Amino acid sequence: MAADDQAVLTEERDESIDVGRGLDALDTPTERRVPWWRRFATSVLPPIVAVVLFIVVWQILWASAIWPEFKLPSPEAVFGTIGAEFASGQALSIIWTSISRAVLGFLFALVIGTPLGLLVATVPVVRSAIGPILTGLQSLPSVAWVPAAVLWFGLTDGTIYFVVLMGAVPSIANGLVSGIEQVPPLLPRVGYAMGASRSQAARLIMLPAALPGFFAGLKQGWAFSWRSLMAAEIIATSPSLGFGLGAYLNQGQSLSDMPSVMAAILLILIVGIGVELIAFRPAERRILRARGLATGP
Amino acid sequence: MTATLDRRDRAPRTGPPAVEVAGVSKVFGSGTDAVVALDGVDLTVAPGEFVCLLGASGCGKSTLLNLVAGLDQPTSGTVAAGTARPAVMFQEAALLPWLTAGRNVELPLRLAGVGRQRRKERAQELLGLVRLEGQADKRPHELSGGMRQRVALARALAAATGTAGSGATEVQPGVLLMDEPFGALDAITRDFLQAELLRVWEATGTTILFVTHDVRESVRLAERVVLLSSRPGRVVREWGTGEDTDAEELHDHITSELREVISAHGR
Repeated sequence: MAADDQAVLTEERDESIDVGRGLDALDTPTERRVPWWRRFATSVLPPIVAVVLFIVVWQILWASAIWPEFKLPSPEAVFGTIGAEFASGQALSIIWTSISRAVLGFLFALVIGTPLGLLVATVPVVRSAIGPILTGLQSLPSVAWVPAAVLWFGLTDGTIYFVVLMGAVPSIANGLVSGIEQVPPLLPRVGYAMGASRSQAARLIMLPAALPGFFAGLKQGWAFSWRSLMAAEIIATSPSLGFGLGAYLNQGQSLSDMPSVMAAILLILIVGIGVELIAFRPAERRILRARGLATGP
Repeated sequence: MTATLDRRDRAPRTGPPAVEVAGVSKVFGSGTDAVVALDGVDLTVAPGEFVCLLGASGCGKSTLLNLVAGLDQPTSGTVAAGTARPAVMFQEAALLPWLTAGRNVELPLRLAGVGRQRRKERAQELLGLVRLEGQADKRPHELSGGMRQRVALARALAAATGTAGSGATEVQPGVLLMDEPFGALDAITRDFLQAELLRVWEATGTTILFVTHDVRESVRLAERVVLLSSRPGRVVREWGTGEDTDAEELHDHITSELREVISAHGR
Protein backbone atom coordinates (compact mmCIF):
# COMPACT_ATOMS: atom_id res chain seq x y z
CA MET A 1 0.00 0.00 0.00
CA ALA A 2 2.68 2.48 0.97
CA ALA A 3 4.71 1.57 -2.09
CA ASP A 4 1.69 2.20 -4.31
CA ASP A 5 1.16 5.64 -2.81
CA GLN A 6 4.77 6.53 -3.44
CA ALA A 7 4.52 5.50 -7.10
CA VAL A 8 1.53 7.75 -7.61
CA LEU A 9 3.06 10.66 -5.73
CA THR A 10 6.15 10.74 -7.93
CA GLU A 11 4.16 10.55 -11.15
CA GLU A 12 4.32 13.43 -13.61
CA ARG A 13 1.89 15.68 -11.87
CA ASP A 14 4.27 18.32 -10.63
CA GLU A 15 2.05 21.10 -11.86
CA SER A 16 -0.88 19.90 -9.83
CA ILE A 17 1.36 19.43 -6.79
CA ASP A 18 2.49 23.05 -7.10
CA VAL A 19 -1.10 24.24 -7.37
CA GLY A 20 -1.94 22.27 -4.27
CA ARG A 21 1.00 23.68 -2.32
CA GLY A 22 0.12 27.18 -3.49
CA LEU A 23 -3.49 26.80 -2.42
CA ASP A 24 -2.43 25.47 0.97
CA ALA A 25 -0.01 28.34 1.48
CA LEU A 26 -2.48 31.03 0.39
CA ASP A 27 -5.60 29.73 2.11
CA THR A 28 -4.14 28.71 5.46
CA PRO A 29 -5.37 31.12 8.11
CA THR A 30 -2.49 33.15 9.47
CA GLU A 31 -2.22 33.75 13.16
CA ARG A 32 -1.07 37.17 14.19
CA ARG A 33 1.46 37.15 17.01
CA VAL A 34 0.89 40.00 19.41
CA PRO A 35 4.05 41.33 21.12
CA TRP A 36 4.04 40.98 24.91
CA TRP A 37 4.11 44.74 25.56
CA ARG A 38 1.01 45.25 23.45
CA ARG A 39 -0.77 42.42 25.25
CA PHE A 40 0.31 44.05 28.53
CA ALA A 41 -0.95 47.43 27.33
CA THR A 42 -4.32 46.10 26.19
CA SER A 43 -5.16 43.54 28.86
CA VAL A 44 -3.16 44.11 32.06
CA LEU A 45 -2.76 47.87 32.16
CA PRO A 46 -6.42 49.00 31.82
CA PRO A 47 -7.72 47.22 34.96
CA ILE A 48 -4.74 48.50 36.98
CA VAL A 49 -5.42 52.06 35.82
CA ALA A 50 -9.12 51.64 36.66
CA VAL A 51 -8.32 50.46 40.20
CA VAL A 52 -5.85 53.31 40.77
CA LEU A 53 -8.41 55.85 39.48
CA PHE A 54 -11.03 54.37 41.80
CA ILE A 55 -8.75 54.74 44.82
CA VAL A 56 -7.82 58.30 43.81
CA VAL A 57 -11.49 59.29 43.54
CA TRP A 58 -12.14 57.61 46.90
CA GLN A 59 -9.25 59.51 48.48
CA ILE A 60 -10.54 62.83 47.06
CA LEU A 61 -14.07 62.16 48.31
CA TRP A 62 -12.71 61.28 51.75
CA ALA A 63 -10.49 64.37 51.84
CA SER A 64 -13.39 66.64 50.89
CA ALA A 65 -15.16 65.35 54.04
CA ILE A 66 -18.68 65.27 52.52
CA TRP A 67 -19.54 62.21 54.61
CA PRO A 68 -18.44 61.61 58.19
CA GLU A 69 -15.51 59.32 58.85
CA PHE A 70 -17.65 56.43 60.15
CA LYS A 71 -19.52 56.35 56.82
CA LEU A 72 -16.59 56.79 54.47
CA PRO A 73 -13.23 55.81 55.95
CA SER A 74 -10.02 56.69 54.12
CA PRO A 75 -8.43 54.15 51.78
CA GLU A 76 -5.49 54.17 54.16
CA ALA A 77 -7.66 53.06 57.09
CA VAL A 78 -9.24 50.24 55.08
CA PHE A 79 -5.95 48.94 53.67
CA GLY A 80 -4.42 49.40 57.13
CA THR A 81 -7.12 47.12 58.57
CA ILE A 82 -6.44 44.51 55.89
CA GLY A 83 -2.70 44.76 56.56
CA ALA A 84 -3.18 44.38 60.30
CA GLU A 85 -5.40 41.32 59.84
CA PHE A 86 -2.76 39.74 57.61
CA ALA A 87 0.02 40.65 60.06
CA SER A 88 -1.82 38.95 62.92
CA GLY A 89 -2.48 35.90 60.74
CA GLN A 90 -6.22 36.20 61.29
CA ALA A 91 -6.91 37.16 57.66
CA LEU A 92 -5.51 33.91 56.33
CA SER A 93 -7.56 31.83 58.75
CA ILE A 94 -10.75 33.77 57.87
CA ILE A 95 -10.13 33.45 54.15
CA TRP A 96 -9.22 29.77 54.45
CA THR A 97 -12.45 29.03 56.36
CA SER A 98 -14.51 30.56 53.56
CA ILE A 99 -12.52 29.27 50.60
CA SER A 100 -12.39 25.70 51.85
CA ARG A 101 -16.16 25.73 52.33
CA ALA A 102 -16.76 27.26 48.90
CA VAL A 103 -14.45 24.77 47.17
CA LEU A 104 -15.94 21.79 48.99
CA GLY A 105 -19.47 23.03 48.27
CA PHE A 106 -18.55 23.59 44.62
CA LEU A 107 -17.16 20.06 44.34
CA PHE A 108 -20.35 18.63 45.87
CA ALA A 109 -22.34 20.72 43.39
CA LEU A 110 -20.20 19.33 40.56
CA VAL A 111 -20.83 15.75 41.66
CA ILE A 112 -24.59 16.36 41.83
CA GLY A 113 -24.98 18.78 38.93
CA THR A 114 -23.11 16.82 36.24
CA PRO A 115 -25.21 13.63 36.27
CA LEU A 116 -28.32 15.75 36.72
CA GLY A 117 -27.42 17.79 33.63
CA LEU A 118 -26.66 14.62 31.64
CA LEU A 119 -30.01 13.18 32.64
CA VAL A 120 -31.92 16.33 31.69
CA ALA A 121 -30.07 16.66 28.39
CA THR A 122 -30.51 13.06 27.27
CA VAL A 123 -33.83 11.83 28.69
CA PRO A 124 -36.78 13.76 27.20
CA VAL A 125 -39.20 12.86 30.03
CA VAL A 126 -36.78 14.10 32.70
CA ARG A 127 -36.20 17.18 30.63
CA SER A 128 -39.84 18.18 30.36
CA ALA A 129 -40.35 17.28 34.03
CA ILE A 130 -37.54 19.18 35.74
CA GLY A 131 -35.88 21.25 32.99
CA PRO A 132 -38.02 24.36 33.61
CA ILE A 133 -37.66 23.98 37.40
CA LEU A 134 -33.89 23.85 37.04
CA THR A 135 -33.91 27.01 34.94
CA GLY A 136 -36.25 28.67 37.43
CA LEU A 137 -34.03 27.77 40.37
CA GLN A 138 -31.19 29.57 38.61
CA SER A 139 -33.03 32.88 38.96
CA LEU A 140 -34.02 32.25 42.58
CA PRO A 141 -31.45 33.98 44.82
CA SER A 142 -30.12 31.19 46.99
CA VAL A 143 -30.09 33.50 50.01
CA ALA A 144 -33.83 32.82 50.06
CA TRP A 145 -33.01 29.29 51.19
CA VAL A 146 -31.14 30.46 54.33
CA PRO A 147 -34.16 30.73 56.67
CA ALA A 148 -35.45 27.32 55.58
CA ALA A 149 -32.00 25.77 55.89
CA VAL A 150 -31.55 27.19 59.40
CA LEU A 151 -34.86 25.65 60.45
CA TRP A 152 -33.98 22.30 58.84
CA PHE A 153 -30.33 21.93 59.77
CA GLY A 154 -29.88 24.40 62.64
CA LEU A 155 -26.72 26.47 62.85
CA THR A 156 -24.47 23.79 61.41
CA ASP A 157 -22.26 23.39 58.36
CA GLY A 158 -25.21 21.55 56.81
CA THR A 159 -27.05 24.87 56.47
CA ILE A 160 -24.11 26.50 54.74
CA TYR A 161 -23.53 23.63 52.31
CA PHE A 162 -27.22 23.35 51.51
CA VAL A 163 -27.38 27.00 50.52
CA VAL A 164 -24.20 26.70 48.44
CA LEU A 165 -25.58 23.64 46.63
CA MET A 166 -28.89 25.33 45.87
CA GLY A 167 -26.90 28.16 44.33
CA ALA A 168 -24.42 26.16 42.27
CA VAL A 169 -26.15 22.93 41.18
CA PRO A 170 -28.68 24.55 38.78
CA SER A 171 -25.94 26.55 37.06
CA ILE A 172 -23.70 23.53 36.56
CA ALA A 173 -26.53 21.30 35.35
CA ASN A 174 -27.90 23.98 33.02
CA GLY A 175 -24.42 24.65 31.65
CA LEU A 176 -24.06 21.00 30.71
CA VAL A 177 -27.54 20.94 29.16
CA SER A 178 -26.89 23.98 26.98
CA GLY A 179 -23.41 22.70 26.12
CA ILE A 180 -24.90 19.47 24.81
CA GLU A 181 -27.69 21.36 23.02
CA GLN A 182 -25.20 23.49 21.15
CA VAL A 183 -23.23 20.59 19.69
CA PRO A 184 -23.59 20.78 15.88
CA PRO A 185 -25.86 17.84 14.88
CA LEU A 186 -23.36 16.81 12.19
CA LEU A 187 -20.78 15.70 14.80
CA PRO A 188 -22.78 12.82 16.35
CA ARG A 189 -23.80 11.78 12.81
CA VAL A 190 -20.14 11.63 11.83
CA GLY A 191 -19.53 9.56 14.95
CA TYR A 192 -22.22 7.02 14.10
CA ALA A 193 -21.05 6.90 10.48
CA MET A 194 -17.58 5.97 11.78
CA GLY A 195 -19.07 3.18 13.83
CA ALA A 196 -19.07 4.72 17.30
CA SER A 197 -21.12 2.88 19.92
CA ARG A 198 -23.45 4.90 22.14
CA SER A 199 -20.94 5.13 24.97
CA GLN A 200 -18.07 5.91 22.60
CA ALA A 201 -20.12 8.67 20.97
CA ALA A 202 -20.91 10.15 24.39
CA ARG A 203 -17.36 9.93 25.70
CA LEU A 204 -15.31 10.81 22.62
CA ILE A 205 -17.64 13.15 20.76
CA MET A 206 -20.57 14.60 22.72
CA LEU A 207 -18.80 15.43 25.99
CA PRO A 208 -15.72 17.10 24.46
CA ALA A 209 -18.00 18.95 22.04
CA ALA A 210 -20.16 20.14 24.95
CA LEU A 211 -17.16 21.19 27.04
CA PRO A 212 -17.22 24.96 26.29
CA GLY A 213 -20.86 25.26 27.40
CA PHE A 214 -20.28 23.00 30.40
CA PHE A 215 -17.29 25.08 31.44
CA ALA A 216 -19.30 28.29 31.22
CA GLY A 217 -21.76 26.59 33.59
CA LEU A 218 -18.92 25.64 35.96
CA LYS A 219 -17.70 29.21 36.03
CA GLN A 220 -21.15 30.51 36.84
CA GLY A 221 -21.54 27.68 39.34
CA TRP A 222 -18.42 28.83 41.16
CA ALA A 223 -19.61 32.46 41.23
CA PHE A 224 -22.96 31.30 42.64
CA SER A 225 -21.33 29.09 45.28
CA TRP A 226 -19.19 32.00 46.44
CA ARG A 227 -22.13 34.39 46.63
CA SER A 228 -24.40 31.88 48.31
CA LEU A 229 -21.69 31.07 50.81
CA MET A 230 -21.28 34.75 51.71
CA ALA A 231 -25.05 35.17 52.09
CA ALA A 232 -25.20 32.12 54.33
CA GLU A 233 -22.22 33.22 56.42
CA ILE A 234 -23.59 36.72 56.94
CA ILE A 235 -27.04 35.57 58.01
CA ALA A 236 -26.24 32.36 59.87
CA THR A 237 -23.54 33.33 62.36
CA SER A 238 -22.68 31.27 65.36
CA PRO A 239 -19.47 30.33 67.15
CA SER A 240 -20.16 26.73 66.13
CA LEU A 241 -19.94 27.72 62.47
CA GLY A 242 -16.37 28.94 62.42
CA PHE A 243 -15.31 32.45 61.44
CA GLY A 244 -15.35 33.12 57.71
CA LEU A 245 -15.40 36.27 55.59
CA GLY A 246 -19.18 36.64 55.91
CA ALA A 247 -19.01 36.39 59.69
CA TYR A 248 -16.17 38.91 59.68
CA LEU A 249 -18.31 41.29 57.63
CA ASN A 250 -21.25 40.76 59.98
CA GLN A 251 -19.05 41.44 62.99
CA GLY A 252 -17.81 44.68 61.41
CA GLN A 253 -21.40 45.81 60.99
CA SER A 254 -22.38 45.04 64.60
CA LEU A 255 -19.31 46.88 65.89
CA SER A 256 -20.02 49.82 63.51
CA ASP A 257 -16.44 49.37 62.36
CA MET A 258 -16.60 50.75 58.80
CA PRO A 259 -12.96 50.07 57.89
CA SER A 260 -13.31 46.37 58.64
CA VAL A 261 -16.68 46.21 56.80
CA MET A 262 -15.02 47.64 53.71
CA ALA A 263 -11.97 45.43 54.23
CA ALA A 264 -14.27 42.39 54.29
CA ILE A 265 -16.07 43.48 51.12
CA LEU A 266 -12.73 44.03 49.39
CA LEU A 267 -11.43 40.62 50.47
CA ILE A 268 -14.61 38.87 49.29
CA LEU A 269 -14.23 40.59 45.94
CA ILE A 270 -10.53 39.80 45.68
CA VAL A 271 -11.01 36.11 46.48
CA GLY A 272 -13.83 35.83 43.91
CA ILE A 273 -11.78 37.52 41.20
CA GLY A 274 -8.62 35.66 42.21
CA VAL A 275 -10.17 32.20 41.86
CA GLU A 276 -11.64 33.22 38.52
CA LEU A 277 -8.26 34.49 37.27
CA ILE A 278 -6.10 31.69 38.66
CA ALA A 279 -8.30 28.64 38.13
CA PHE A 280 -11.02 29.32 35.58
CA ARG A 281 -9.63 31.83 33.10
CA PRO A 282 -6.54 29.80 32.02
CA ALA A 283 -8.55 26.56 31.71
CA GLU A 284 -11.27 28.29 29.73
CA ARG A 285 -8.71 29.85 27.41
CA ARG A 286 -7.13 26.48 26.76
CA ILE A 287 -10.50 24.93 25.97
CA LEU A 288 -11.52 27.75 23.62
CA ARG A 289 -8.10 28.19 21.99
CA ALA A 290 -7.89 24.49 21.16
CA ARG A 291 -11.15 24.91 19.26
CA GLY A 292 -10.07 28.11 17.54
CA LEU A 293 -12.75 30.11 19.37
CA ALA A 294 -11.22 32.82 21.57
CA THR A 295 -8.48 34.39 19.51
CA GLY A 296 -8.66 37.84 21.09
CA PRO A 297 -6.02 39.13 23.52
CA MET B 1 -13.46 21.46 -28.31
CA THR B 2 -13.28 17.76 -27.75
CA ALA B 3 -11.73 16.20 -24.73
CA THR B 4 -11.45 12.54 -24.03
CA LEU B 5 -11.12 11.17 -20.56
CA ASP B 6 -7.70 9.84 -19.68
CA ARG B 7 -8.80 6.66 -18.01
CA ARG B 8 -6.38 3.87 -17.67
CA ASP B 9 -7.46 0.40 -18.59
CA ARG B 10 -8.57 -1.47 -15.56
CA ALA B 11 -8.77 -5.14 -14.91
CA PRO B 12 -12.38 -6.32 -15.18
CA ARG B 13 -13.99 -6.27 -11.79
CA THR B 14 -14.92 -9.55 -10.24
CA GLY B 15 -16.27 -10.69 -6.91
CA PRO B 16 -19.42 -9.76 -5.06
CA PRO B 17 -20.65 -6.17 -5.42
CA ALA B 18 -19.37 -3.63 -2.89
CA VAL B 19 -22.78 -1.99 -2.61
CA GLU B 20 -26.07 -3.55 -3.61
CA VAL B 21 -29.32 -1.60 -3.39
CA ALA B 22 -32.37 -3.57 -4.46
CA GLY B 23 -35.90 -2.19 -4.85
CA VAL B 24 -35.34 0.43 -2.18
CA SER B 25 -38.12 2.88 -1.33
CA LYS B 26 -38.06 5.51 1.38
CA VAL B 27 -41.12 7.39 2.55
CA PHE B 28 -40.88 10.21 5.07
CA GLY B 29 -43.95 10.91 7.17
CA SER B 30 -47.26 9.13 6.74
CA GLY B 31 -50.82 9.66 5.53
CA THR B 32 -51.42 12.70 3.32
CA ASP B 33 -48.18 14.37 4.41
CA ALA B 34 -46.05 11.44 3.24
CA VAL B 35 -43.18 12.34 0.95
CA VAL B 36 -41.81 9.59 -1.25
CA ALA B 37 -38.07 10.30 -1.39
CA LEU B 38 -37.02 7.12 -3.17
CA ASP B 39 -39.12 4.73 -5.21
CA GLY B 40 -37.86 1.32 -6.28
CA VAL B 41 -34.20 2.19 -6.69
CA ASP B 42 -31.81 -0.52 -7.86
CA LEU B 43 -28.11 0.16 -7.84
CA THR B 44 -25.12 -2.13 -7.87
CA VAL B 45 -21.58 -0.87 -7.38
CA ALA B 46 -18.67 -3.19 -8.15
CA PRO B 47 -15.64 -3.27 -5.83
CA GLY B 48 -13.23 -0.51 -6.77
CA GLU B 49 -15.78 1.25 -8.96
CA PHE B 50 -16.32 5.04 -8.94
CA VAL B 51 -20.03 5.85 -9.33
CA CYS B 52 -21.62 9.30 -9.30
CA LEU B 53 -25.24 9.78 -8.26
CA LEU B 54 -26.45 12.83 -10.15
CA GLY B 55 -29.70 14.66 -9.61
CA ALA B 56 -31.41 17.96 -8.85
CA SER B 57 -32.47 18.96 -5.36
CA GLY B 58 -35.01 16.67 -3.75
CA CYS B 59 -34.05 13.63 -5.81
CA GLY B 60 -33.23 11.73 -2.65
CA LYS B 61 -29.57 11.23 -3.51
CA SER B 62 -28.47 12.13 0.01
CA THR B 63 -31.25 9.90 1.37
CA LEU B 64 -29.90 7.02 -0.69
CA LEU B 65 -26.40 7.69 0.59
CA ASN B 66 -27.65 7.71 4.20
CA LEU B 67 -29.35 4.36 3.61
CA VAL B 68 -26.15 2.84 2.25
CA ALA B 69 -24.22 4.32 5.18
CA GLY B 70 -26.64 2.71 7.60
CA LEU B 71 -27.59 6.10 9.09
CA ASP B 72 -31.21 5.46 8.12
CA GLN B 73 -33.41 2.46 7.29
CA PRO B 74 -35.33 1.97 3.99
CA THR B 75 -39.12 1.75 4.07
CA SER B 76 -38.89 -1.26 1.76
CA GLY B 77 -36.21 -3.06 -0.21
CA THR B 78 -32.73 -4.10 0.87
CA VAL B 79 -29.39 -2.37 1.16
CA ALA B 80 -26.23 -4.43 1.42
CA ALA B 81 -22.80 -2.88 1.63
CA GLY B 82 -20.05 -5.46 1.27
CA THR B 83 -18.28 -6.72 4.34
CA ALA B 84 -17.09 -3.59 6.09
CA ARG B 85 -18.95 -0.48 7.20
CA PRO B 86 -18.85 2.23 4.52
CA ALA B 87 -17.21 5.52 5.45
CA VAL B 88 -19.04 8.80 4.83
CA MET B 89 -17.75 12.22 3.87
CA PHE B 90 -20.06 15.22 4.06
CA GLN B 91 -20.16 18.65 2.46
CA GLU B 92 -18.63 20.11 5.59
CA ALA B 93 -15.39 18.53 6.72
CA ALA B 94 -17.04 17.90 10.14
CA LEU B 95 -13.68 17.48 11.84
CA LEU B 96 -13.75 17.46 15.62
CA PRO B 97 -12.42 20.95 16.43
CA TRP B 98 -10.66 19.92 19.66
CA LEU B 99 -8.55 17.23 17.99
CA THR B 100 -5.49 17.76 15.82
CA ALA B 101 -5.61 16.71 12.17
CA GLY B 102 -3.72 13.52 13.02
CA ARG B 103 -6.07 12.63 15.88
CA ASN B 104 -9.09 13.24 13.69
CA VAL B 105 -7.74 10.73 11.18
CA GLU B 106 -7.01 8.30 14.02
CA LEU B 107 -10.51 8.55 15.48
CA PRO B 108 -12.24 5.83 13.38
CA LEU B 109 -9.32 3.49 14.14
CA ARG B 110 -9.61 4.34 17.81
CA LEU B 111 -13.32 3.55 17.71
CA ALA B 112 -12.45 0.21 16.11
CA GLY B 113 -10.01 -0.55 18.93
CA VAL B 114 -6.76 -0.26 16.97
CA GLY B 115 -3.66 0.20 19.14
CA ARG B 116 -2.13 3.64 19.61
CA GLN B 117 1.11 3.05 17.74
CA ARG B 118 -0.53 1.33 14.79
CA ARG B 119 -3.19 4.00 14.34
CA LYS B 120 -0.65 6.78 14.56
CA GLU B 121 1.40 5.21 11.78
CA ARG B 122 -1.72 4.70 9.66
CA ALA B 123 -2.79 8.32 10.19
CA GLN B 124 0.65 9.55 9.08
CA GLU B 125 0.43 7.33 6.04
CA LEU B 126 -3.03 8.61 5.07
CA LEU B 127 -2.13 12.26 5.69
CA GLY B 128 0.83 11.70 3.39
CA LEU B 129 -1.52 10.23 0.80
CA VAL B 130 -3.61 13.43 0.76
CA ARG B 131 -0.39 15.50 0.77
CA LEU B 132 -0.69 16.81 4.31
CA GLU B 133 2.50 15.34 5.68
CA GLY B 134 3.80 17.44 8.56
CA GLN B 135 0.36 18.93 9.30
CA ALA B 136 -0.72 16.24 11.75
CA ASP B 137 -0.35 18.53 14.79
CA LYS B 138 -2.41 21.38 13.35
CA ARG B 139 -5.93 21.93 14.60
CA PRO B 140 -8.79 22.19 12.09
CA HIS B 141 -9.11 25.97 12.55
CA GLU B 142 -5.47 26.37 11.53
CA LEU B 143 -6.13 24.72 8.15
CA SER B 144 -7.77 26.06 4.98
CA GLY B 145 -11.11 24.74 3.75
CA GLY B 146 -9.47 22.54 1.12
CA MET B 147 -6.97 21.13 3.62
CA ARG B 148 -9.77 20.37 6.09
CA GLN B 149 -11.65 18.50 3.40
CA ARG B 150 -8.49 16.49 2.67
CA VAL B 151 -8.15 15.64 6.38
CA ALA B 152 -11.79 14.52 6.20
CA LEU B 153 -10.88 12.39 3.17
CA ALA B 154 -7.98 10.83 5.06
CA ARG B 155 -10.31 10.17 8.01
CA ALA B 156 -12.92 8.59 5.75
CA LEU B 157 -10.21 6.42 4.19
CA ALA B 158 -9.11 5.38 7.68
CA ALA B 159 -12.70 4.45 8.47
CA ALA B 160 -13.21 2.61 5.17
CA THR B 161 -9.93 0.75 5.02
CA GLY B 162 -8.65 0.32 8.53
CA THR B 163 -11.17 -1.94 10.19
CA ALA B 164 -10.32 -5.30 8.67
CA GLY B 165 -9.88 -8.14 11.14
CA SER B 166 -9.72 -7.77 14.88
CA GLY B 167 -6.12 -6.59 14.99
CA ALA B 168 -6.81 -4.32 12.00
CA THR B 169 -3.38 -4.85 10.56
CA GLU B 170 -4.76 -5.73 7.18
CA VAL B 171 -5.75 -2.93 4.85
CA GLN B 172 -8.80 -3.48 2.68
CA PRO B 173 -10.06 -1.24 -0.12
CA GLY B 174 -13.34 -0.36 1.62
CA VAL B 175 -16.29 1.73 0.49
CA LEU B 176 -16.35 5.52 0.55
CA LEU B 177 -19.64 7.45 0.39
CA MET B 178 -19.28 11.12 -0.48
CA ASP B 179 -22.16 13.60 -0.15
CA GLU B 180 -21.26 16.62 -2.30
CA PRO B 181 -17.90 16.84 -0.53
CA PHE B 182 -16.55 19.70 -2.65
CA GLY B 183 -19.79 21.69 -2.85
CA ALA B 184 -18.70 24.37 -0.38
CA LEU B 185 -15.25 25.01 -1.89
CA ASP B 186 -14.12 27.64 -4.39
CA ALA B 187 -13.66 26.62 -8.03
CA ILE B 188 -9.87 26.28 -8.07
CA THR B 189 -9.75 24.30 -4.84
CA ARG B 190 -12.57 22.11 -6.08
CA ASP B 191 -10.72 21.42 -9.32
CA PHE B 192 -7.58 20.53 -7.38
CA LEU B 193 -9.41 18.27 -4.97
CA GLN B 194 -11.17 16.44 -7.80
CA ALA B 195 -7.76 15.60 -9.26
CA GLU B 196 -6.55 14.57 -5.81
CA LEU B 197 -9.56 12.35 -5.25
CA LEU B 198 -8.95 10.56 -8.57
CA ARG B 199 -5.31 10.06 -7.63
CA VAL B 200 -6.21 8.70 -4.18
CA TRP B 201 -8.88 6.46 -5.69
CA GLU B 202 -6.37 5.01 -8.15
CA ALA B 203 -3.83 4.54 -5.37
CA THR B 204 -6.15 2.81 -2.91
CA GLY B 205 -8.66 0.94 -5.09
CA THR B 206 -11.45 2.13 -2.80
CA THR B 207 -15.03 1.87 -4.03
CA ILE B 208 -16.55 5.35 -4.23
CA LEU B 209 -20.20 6.36 -4.38
CA PHE B 210 -20.23 10.10 -4.95
CA VAL B 211 -23.32 12.32 -4.78
CA THR B 212 -23.34 15.58 -6.74
CA HIS B 213 -25.61 17.93 -8.67
CA ASP B 214 -22.73 19.13 -10.86
CA VAL B 215 -22.78 17.38 -14.25
CA ARG B 216 -19.20 18.39 -15.08
CA GLU B 217 -17.93 17.01 -11.78
CA SER B 218 -19.72 13.72 -12.31
CA VAL B 219 -18.38 13.29 -15.86
CA ARG B 220 -14.87 14.10 -14.77
CA LEU B 221 -14.79 11.80 -11.75
CA ALA B 222 -17.01 8.82 -12.29
CA GLU B 223 -16.70 5.68 -14.33
CA ARG B 224 -20.47 5.49 -14.27
CA VAL B 225 -22.94 8.35 -13.86
CA VAL B 226 -26.39 7.49 -12.51
CA LEU B 227 -29.12 10.10 -13.02
CA LEU B 228 -31.93 10.19 -10.45
CA SER B 229 -35.32 11.86 -10.94
CA SER B 230 -36.85 14.05 -8.26
CA ARG B 231 -39.77 13.33 -5.93
CA PRO B 232 -39.91 10.42 -6.05
CA GLY B 233 -36.28 9.55 -6.71
CA ARG B 234 -35.94 6.89 -9.39
CA VAL B 235 -33.01 5.86 -11.54
CA VAL B 236 -33.65 7.57 -14.90
CA ARG B 237 -30.61 6.52 -16.87
CA GLU B 238 -26.97 5.76 -16.46
CA TRP B 239 -23.90 6.37 -18.58
CA GLY B 240 -20.49 4.79 -18.57
CA THR B 241 -17.44 6.94 -19.14
CA GLY B 242 -15.06 4.68 -21.01
CA GLU B 243 -11.67 5.55 -22.40
CA ASP B 244 -13.00 6.71 -25.77
CA THR B 245 -15.85 8.81 -24.38
CA ASP B 246 -16.06 12.39 -25.54
CA ALA B 247 -16.41 14.25 -22.22
CA GLU B 248 -17.95 17.40 -23.72
CA GLU B 249 -20.53 15.48 -25.66
CA LEU B 250 -21.42 13.35 -22.66
CA HIS B 251 -21.63 16.47 -20.48
CA ASP B 252 -24.06 18.13 -22.91
CA HIS B 253 -26.08 14.98 -23.22
CA ILE B 254 -26.42 14.43 -19.47
CA THR B 255 -27.17 18.12 -18.92
CA SER B 256 -30.09 18.07 -21.38
CA GLU B 257 -31.42 14.93 -19.74
CA LEU B 258 -31.14 16.56 -16.30
CA ARG B 259 -32.96 19.67 -17.60
CA GLU B 260 -35.71 17.39 -18.86
CA VAL B 261 -36.02 15.80 -15.41
CA ILE B 262 -36.17 19.20 -13.71
CA SER B 263 -38.65 20.81 -16.13
CA ALA B 264 -40.97 17.84 -15.73
CA HIS B 265 -41.64 19.26 -12.26
CA GLY B 266 -42.56 22.71 -13.58
CA ARG B 267 -45.36 21.45 -15.79
